[in-house]
Formats: sequence, structure tokens, C-alpha cells
Amino acid sequence: MIDTDIKKNEIVNLFSKNTDYLISDNEAIELKKFIEKTKLPDSKTEEWKNTSIETLLRHKYKIGNKSVVPDEYINTFSFYGLDTDRIVFVNGFFSPENSTVNQNKGKIIIGSVKEAKKNNFKIFEEYFNKTNLYKNNFFSAINTSFSQDGAFIFVPDNIVFEKPVHIVNFINGNENKVIVQSRNLIIVGKNSQIKIISTYHSISSDFTLNNVGTEIIAKEDSNLEFYIFEGEGNEASHINNTFVHQYKGSRLKTNTATLCGSLVRNELYIDFKDEYCEADLQGIYLPDKEQHIDNFVNIIHSKPHCTSKQLYKGIIDNKAKAVFTGKVFVAPDAQKTNASQSNNNLLLTDNAKVYSRPQLEIYADDVSCAHGSTTGQLDREALFYLKSRGIPEKRAKTMLMTAFVEDVLNKIEIKPYRDYVNYLVNKRLKGQKVEGLCSVKICPNC
Amino acid sequence: MLKIQGLKAEIEGKEILKGINLEIKAGEVHAIMGPNGSGKSTLASILAGREIFNVTAGKVEFKDKNLFDLSPEERSREGLFLAFQYPVEIPGVSITNFMRAALDEHRIHKGQKPMTATGFLKFMKEKKELVEMDTKLEGRAVNEGFSGGEKKKNEIFQMAMLEPDLSILDETDSGLDIDALKVVADGVNKLKTKNNASIVITHYQRLLDYIVPDVVHVLYDGKIVKTGGRELALELEKYGYDKIKKEYEN
Repeated sequence: MIDTDIKKNEIVNLFSKNTDYLISDNEAIELKKFIEKTKLPDSKTEEWKNTSIETLLRHKYKIGNKSVVPDEYINTFSFYGLDTDRIVFVNGFFSPENSTVNQNKGKIIIGSVKEAKKNNFKIFEEYFNKTNLYKNNFFSAINTSFSQDGAFIFVPDNIVFEKPVHIVNFINGNENKVIVQSRNLIIVGKNSQIKIISTYHSISSDFTLNNVGTEIIAKEDSNLEFYIFEGEGNEASHINNTFVHQYKGSRLKTNTATLCGSLVRNELYIDFKDEYCEADLQGIYLPDKEQHIDNFVNIIHSKPHCTSKQLYKGIIDNKAKAVFTGKVFVAPDAQKTNASQSNNNLLLTDNAKVYSRPQLEIYADDVSCAHGSTTGQLDREALFYLKSRGIPEKRAKTMLMTAFVEDVLNKIEIKPYRDYVNYLVNKRLKGQKVEGLCSVKICPNC
Repeated sequence: MLKIQGLKAEIEGKEILKGINLEIKAGEVHAIMGPNGSGKSTLASILAGREIFNVTAGKVEFKDKNLFDLSPEERSREGLFLAFQYPVEIPGVSITNFMRAALDEHRIHKGQKPMTATGFLKFMKEKKELVEMDTKLEGRAVNEGFSGGEKKKNEIFQMAMLEPDLSILDETDSGLDIDALKVVADGVNKLKTKNNASIVITHYQRLLDYIVPDVVHVLYDGKIVKTGGRELALELEKYGYDKIKKEYEN
């Protein structure tokens, strides 16, 4: 047994030596108290009961250093025709050398939070650390307390930004076990539109821990598409806490694709602060070997006339484990809420496991809430049908698996990004390597 | 083409086929008739390679090869085709991709190059016209949302695409109205050559008005109890299966 208190102090002490945090000194004092009384999640923590963090606690970490990556790791994306403004982060630190941002686009700001704090302090102060992200769990607390940088995107009111923004995150252990944190802040102004892609990759196959925190503010009638691709190494652990505040008439679409990682926990909180908001959330997870992928979605319908949709699909192979929790809270006066949730899983072996937990808490009476969860195996009849036409078993299985996740992938609206994810999903379903650098290098041999 | 000798098979310990003997030569159409539960569909499934059945005795030679040495996909590539009684819906797998994959595998098996994309689409269009398949297939998933008739026509369309040496039609007439039945039968007749053969499995004589068999077998209680010409089907139509059941039981 690992002593979680010792481990907790070890991680906290690691960061305490640093300075130059994003939070203010006053916030730091308060957070210190919060972290002191917050335990690491264990099997007794209700929301973590199917996800043990023991794998990530086994290691003694160092803090990842600031560095630059070779451009060839980034060029991959343009092979798919993905033309974006690109900000690159290595070990959570902004790497301007790798980034390409055309800054002359009005008042839109695409860059790093650290720079924003320096150059746009008013905006930073207005929005930074204003959600409940900091007190979500131990990881979000240390992310808030000790992060030094992250992506910063600010879209002022009435701007339709056509070109997607790509946040590329690399983790580089350099043969060390490292812990990395990044804190992202995204603000989409009134009537504004933007599409953001956030991808995660690792350079070496070390035991790493990436602890990500993201705050998103979607203002009145704004429209945000937010895509996440997790392609770190299969020894990497990844904790991702994302908090979204949506204001009147805003529309959000997310799509989280988790292909790699040893232990992955994605938490996505959507808080409808006003009426007529829409959130369309999708996810795909494909764990194999001994991977563990956990998606935790929490939607708070605090106001009437809001719509939320969840569609999460997973294919679980070998001894891998997946967890899906979809919480929908409907407050007493959130009438005319429309919430739907669907989670479908395909288990490929007898040892693969999935825990699917729809949790609906409804206090209003005039609402439409639906949820469905299915877990099954590949359809043997369909498989026989394909084989009876001459298609070999392996190819037939890949066809059926691809078909199973197709609707989630088809909802990715940026075609080059969809092609990229499709390519890697297909590779993965054929049993080929996709993790780490394989998610950025197109090498026919691996 | 096909030689079945003393074939016995069971499922979960229950014997379904109790010694089948059957020989089919190129150019022939054989009808297998019989009451429900006589083992007709089991025979079709075993020939196609469905694994839930356990073959306990006998042998089957297909084009001089031991059929049981071949996987379902190899049987298909060797030229065996089963038109399913209940074609499955496969959401997310488009018919175009499905047929393209199947045809590629067949061509590779024959040492041919896979077709080009345009060549394939042209070929598909020709075959669709040949079997009078009027359902729009582009962008549609295999059998998804198809009516009963469309599903059966889709089977004949696939048969036209893969050009098998031996096709087994498992109750292709079930659930079809007379117009759909004619289309299906026309398709089968157009695909008939002197080099291929068919087994038409049916409960009713009706289909045999359109697909004229050379030989008619009656399967009852897991055995072929009577073999004759086309007139045997007409006789069954007239007297039903009761007469044969009685003869067999005596």
C-alpha cells in the first residue's frame, strides 16, 4: 500500500520550491489551506471509486523543464491540411519558437496565460480562477496553486474567427519521470465564434503525469467548438479538469478522443449560468492492454430552456478498463430542460471492463431527460455476414469497430482534424501503435 | 461442384442433420424443400461455415476441396455464396465499402489486382442494373432501414457482385410479395450459367414457378427423404408435407 498522505506532501513540496505562479499571493494562502485539508482521491471517494490513482503514485517525479521541440513534430498536422493558428506548449510552458500566431486580427489574443498576466492584466484578473475548478479535487487545486503557464485565448465580442486555433501540448521527460501542469484560459465574447483543438503528445515513453486545468467562459450567444485529442505515451498519466461557464444563448460543442495514456481521467463540468444554452458533448475512448480511461461529465442545468447532449463511445480491449460517469443536475427552476445522455461500450475480451454510470438528479418537473447505456460485444451475426462475403476476420472486426465509433467521429466538424483522428483511430483499431510520437509522426512502419 | 456424404450435425447436443447425401454438378439448380424444423437452414449454415453447429460425421467436398478445411471467408473466395434468410443490418458499414472490401479479397485470392475506385463504381452500377436493384445504395449502411424485400434483393445484388460458383438461397422467398419475388427470381435466372450451380431452399413451391429446378429434394427430420424432378414440388404443393411425413414415418 502506498501512503497517500506522504505522496501528497511529496507532490506539494515538489512545487512549493517554485515561484512565479499564476495565482495571486492572497489566493495562494487560501489554496494552501484547501490543499492541506484535501485528500488524494482513493477507493472511498465516491466519484473516484472505479478509478485508482495508484499507478501514478508509484513514481517519484521531478518537475518538467521548459524546452523546445523539433518542428518536424508539429508539421504533421499540416499533412492533413490543418491550417491553424498554433500555440505550442512543452511541459506546460509556452514555446514561442514552435508557435505560429498571426496576431493582427483585431483584439483577439492567442498566446500564453503568463504573457496575458503581464500584458493584459485587466482581462486576466477578470477571468482567471473565477470558476470552481480550483476546489474540484486535489489535482485541480494543485493545478490552480502551482501552474506557471498555459494557453490563453481571448476573443472579444462580435468576432467570428474562422481559422481553428490549435493548442499543441508536448510532455518531455528526457528520460526522467516528470510531472507537468498547464492552466488554460479561454474566453469567447458575446456573439463570437471560435474553434479550438487541443492535442496532447509525449516525446519519450517515460512515466509522466500531466495535470491539466482549463477554464472556459462562453459569453452571450457565443459559439465554441472545443476538441481534445489525448495521444501521450502509454506510460503517461493524464488528469484533465475542464470547467465551462456558459451564458445566455451560448453554444458549446466538445469532442474528447482518448487513444493513449496509462491512466486518464477527464473531468468536464458545464455550468449553464443563464437560459437557452446548448452543450453538445462527445467522447471516444479506446483503451487496450492495461490502460485505464475515465470520463467524468457533470452538467449543471441551473437555468431553464437549456439543452445538453452527451454521446460517449468506447471500445475496450485486452485487460483495459473504462469508466464513464455522466451527471446531469437539473435545478428546481430549470424548467424546459432538455438533457440526453448516451454511453455505448464494446468489450472485445472477457477481461476488459467498463463501468458506466448515468446519474440524473432532477428537481424540476417540466423537463425532458433521457439516458441510455449499452455494453456489449461485437455482433457475431454481423461478423459472420462480413466473413461470408470473403472478408477476413481481422478486417471484418476492424470494419465493425470503425462503424461503432463512426457517429462520434463524424461529429468533428473540422475536416482535417477529423481525418487526423480517423487515421489514428483506424490505426489503433488495426492494433498498430499510435501513442506518443506516433501521434505526431506519420511513420508507415510503426 | 458439391458433394455431401453422410453429413450429420448437432447443436447443443441435439442432432439436426442425420445423414445427408447430395451431389450437385455445374449447371444444375437443386431445390431443397421441407417443413419447418426439418434442417434446411442448418444445412445452409453449415455449408457457409457458421460455427455454432457441430459437425459429427460425414464429409463435404466443394470443387474437390474439403469444405471443412476452409474458413467462411475462404469458402466465399473459393466461390460459395449464401443468400441469408435474415440478412443482418450493419449500421455504420456502408454497402460500397463492404462490397469493395469483399471484391478486393476475392480478386486478391484469384491473383487479380483490386479494382480502381471508378472501375469498382461502374461494376457496381452494372450489377445493380442487372438484378434490377432500384434501392439507392450510395451512402447507405448494409441493410440498415431496408424493407424485407430490399434486404433480399440486396442479397442477390451481392451474389451478382461476387459471381459465385455455387449459390445457396436460404428461403429467399420468405416475406416477399409477388413483385419482389419476381425481381429476385429474375436476378437468379440472369446469373445462371452452365458453369455455376444453385441450391434453392424453400418452404413453398411458389418460388419454383420462377426458378425452375433440375432436381427437387425433400428434407424431413434431418434427412433427404425423397428426390425427384420438378413434378415433386408440384406434388408437394397439392398434398402438403403430410403425405411425405406419413410415408417416412411408416
